[in-house]
Amino acid sequence: MTYPARVFFLGGLLSYRALFNWLTPWILVPTFLVAPIFQILLFAYIGRSANLESDEFYVIGNALQYTSLPCLFAMANMLGDERWSQTLGILLSSPASRLALFLGRSLPVILNGALVGAFGFVAGSLILDVHVPASAFAPLALVIVVTAVSCTGLGLVNGAIGLRVRESAVSSNIVFGLLLVLCGVNVPLDELPSWMETIGRALPLTHGIEAARELADGARLADVGGLIATEAAIGLVWAVVGCTLLRFLEVEARRRATLESS
Amino acid sequence: MRTARLLVVGWVLQLKTMMRSAFNGALSVVWPLFFATTAFFMYRAGRDEHTLLYASLGASVMGIWSATSTSASSVLQRERRHGTLELLAGEPTNFAFVLLPISIAMSTVGLYSMVATLLWGRLVFGIDMHLVHPLLFVLAIPVTIASVGALGFLLSVACARYRSAWALGNSLEYPVWLICGFLVPLALLPSWVGPISWLLAPTFGVRAIREAALGGAPLDDLLACASLGIAYFAVGILLAETVLRMARKTAALQLS
Amino acid sequence: MAVIEALDLRRTYKTSTGTFRRRSLEVEAVRGVTLGVEEGKLFGLLGPNGAGKTTTIKMLITLLIPTAGTASVLGYDVVKDAREVRKRIGYVFGGDRGLYDRLSGQDNLRYFAELYAVPPREQRARIAELLELVGLAGREKERVEGYSRGMRQRLHIARGLLHDPPVVFLDEPTIGVDPVGARELRTMIAQLVAAGKTVLLTTHYMFEADQLCDRIAVISEGTIVAEGTPAELKANVSDGRVVEIEVFGVDDPTVERLRRIEGVRSVGVEQREQAQLLVAQTDGRELTHALLAQLDGAQVGRVSAREPSLEDAYVALVRES
Repeated sequence: MTYPARVFFLGGLLSYRALFNWLTPWILVPTFLVAPIFQILLFAYIGRSANLESDEFYVIGNALQYTSLPCLFAMANMLGDERWSQTLGILLSSPASRLALFLGRSLPVILNGALVGAFGFVAGSLILDVHVPASAFAPLALVIVVTAVSCTGLGLVNGAIGLRVRESAVSSNIVFGLLLVLCGVNVPLDELPSWMETIGRALPLTHGIEAARELADGARLADVGGLIATEAAIGLVWAVVGCTLLRFLEVEARRRATLESS
Repeated sequence: MRTARLLVVGWVLQLKTMMRSAFNGALSVVWPLFFATTAFFMYRAGRDEHTLLYASLGASVMGIWSATSTSASSVLQRERRHGTLELLAGEPTNFAFVLLPISIAMSTVGLYSMVATLLWGRLVFGIDMHLVHPLLFVLAIPVTIASVGALGFLLSVACARYRSAWALGNSLEYPVWLICGFLVPLALLPSWVGPISWLLAPTFGVRAIREAALGGAPLDDLLACASLGIAYFAVGILLAETVLRMARKTAALQLS
Repeated sequence: MAVIEALDLRRTYKTSTGTFRRRSLEVEAVRGVTLGVEEGKLFGLLGPNGAGKTTTIKMLITLLIPTAGTASVLGYDVVKDAREVRKRIGYVFGGDRGLYDRLSGQDNLRYFAELYAVPPREQRARIAELLELVGLAGREKERVEGYSRGMRQRLHIARGLLHDPPVVFLDEPTIGVDPVGARELRTMIAQLVAAGKTVLLTTHYMFEADQLCDRIAVISEGTIVAEGTPAELKANVSDGRVVEIEVFGVDDPTVERLRRIEGVRSVGVEQREQAQLLVAQTDGRELTHALLAQLDGAQVGRVSAREPSLEDAYVALVRES
């Protein structure tokens, strides 16, 4: 195997272990399985109370939005762990390709996010008796994966911020909240002030959610191709920003000798 | 008398500890605001003036529960990491009277969020608040805080042995928001949810605060809220001594 | 009557290993510890890391229930009368934890004073008195997060004494403290005993036990391997001699041969950068030549012979067990 590819896969395996070693069922079930269902229920009922949109609207919106939770936190934790175990400096000073490094580490995170999103969607649909055409299942799965990828890209930026600020849990929570408000999760974008709508369109999730809703309403994959591509592109841009930020932090930390300090 | 003093001194000093973490304090205010904002947008789009105020009052209490649920379940874990758990459990006072002020202090921190949410609603969404029973409104707040604190105390004792109990407490955030009618009228939920919500003090706390503001009979709800708080504490005391004894058997009181 | 009494204390822990097939292991941390501490004495529990010192002390201060055996403090059983025991003991442990970092030293003491049921009227005076005693007067309003390790330790001691307990348990109180600070702490500990308190101290520093304690019990792998006054323990080895030989490159078979020489009680090997230091405890005979003969062929550096110290006694005891 070529060197970058090995870094890619080994890094992925290591971060999988690092990620799932501490994920006991006691943490996994409440955080990834119970919480998203209640978020869906909460907003579905508010929607009913406000007479706004259908249950399906809220199931899709919140299931996909909750995908961002593992993507944000896992990414931030991973970077934080590297710093804590003081391997970050070692990693960054190794000749390995940065791209292969971080992409490899992102794999389990993306997988985690996609699974959480899929579970939320299925469970929410069952509980609220939402019916989606069978032909939409495969395309929906694709949308969920693409959304997880783009959230992970945002997660890289969040992780970099977390490294600098040293309170990654705070920044992860804030980004999660921003995604909730701005990405058309529970409030259709045109109901938001236009400046919020603009920001929302630049964030991950927005186009993915739109694509998913159209698919659930009977659109074909070809119809939503543009939205999916946009979602992927946005994710890529955020990932590049994240990598650049990390590089910048690395340089700054080398200058100020703060890379290893905790 | 001594107990009262212990509760007050404990509450003041624990509050001091909590308020000195700027980041976490800011987050505890901002976090419920995201959800409140979403709810306000949703209700505004539905164009019902009255519902917006209803939601605003309910949303203001969200922070009190969040501040408690996310931290209470891991109180013991935090004290364990601090190295103070051994000391708290090893001194002669009843362990319960040591834990209670901690979780009430947590709920008190939620007061910041309450004020912030009401102000946010007023300034950004133009939600006006006229208080029909201002005195009862002011009374309802500490009663709610204390009862939610008692519930947090019960939670912290029930989760005593579990290292990852914080995840459990975290996941209780949304359910209580939903089931206790903070943002959604209970009438909309399935009928079997009703009895569950009556066992939870926040249900009556929110109701009391709403009725004190909008008109109604808040006193009954206040009494229910307070009684539940006392009940939680009583159950918690019984649980605490048992938990302590078990911990001494299995050495769970040690650090890490 | 002994103030602290332990009779055949045992404590077993269950741990589990493996991720998928969890196997549970039983670890016997304390295997039958019997000891007694008289009033007004300073008793030292000396042993290497992992010997069971902390576990023993935790059983005595009611934080752990023994799996077998009994213990009592001031006549109160540590299991049945736990609350009575807790009212009368102070517990101080080493390390950075055990205090609320974001509160000031004074606030920490106020909190624990309340927990220990110190009468409100006396709290202020007591706290001031203790701050003076441990040398923190004037620094009490600063947050603990800014305290040095030594200062934290001193605050710990103040905390442990808030309710003026007649019995004080100190678990490795000078660990991680700089030499000057540690010396001050030891002086403080000696003063406690002079004031009439009964103190049980755990430590792995021999000289500390030697300097402070009236009686020492050496604990290794969960049992007490020796007990007595420092002088008695030294006497166990004082009829012998210690020969130290510096060698460059010695192998295990050679060390074994050294051990089998008649009159040699034990041979320890310490790594010293390029060389090794062989420490041979003998029964008093002149064995230097015999030892050197076995080392024929190896490069030998300094050779010295001396009287055994308490450290040698301790090492011998621990190694034997």
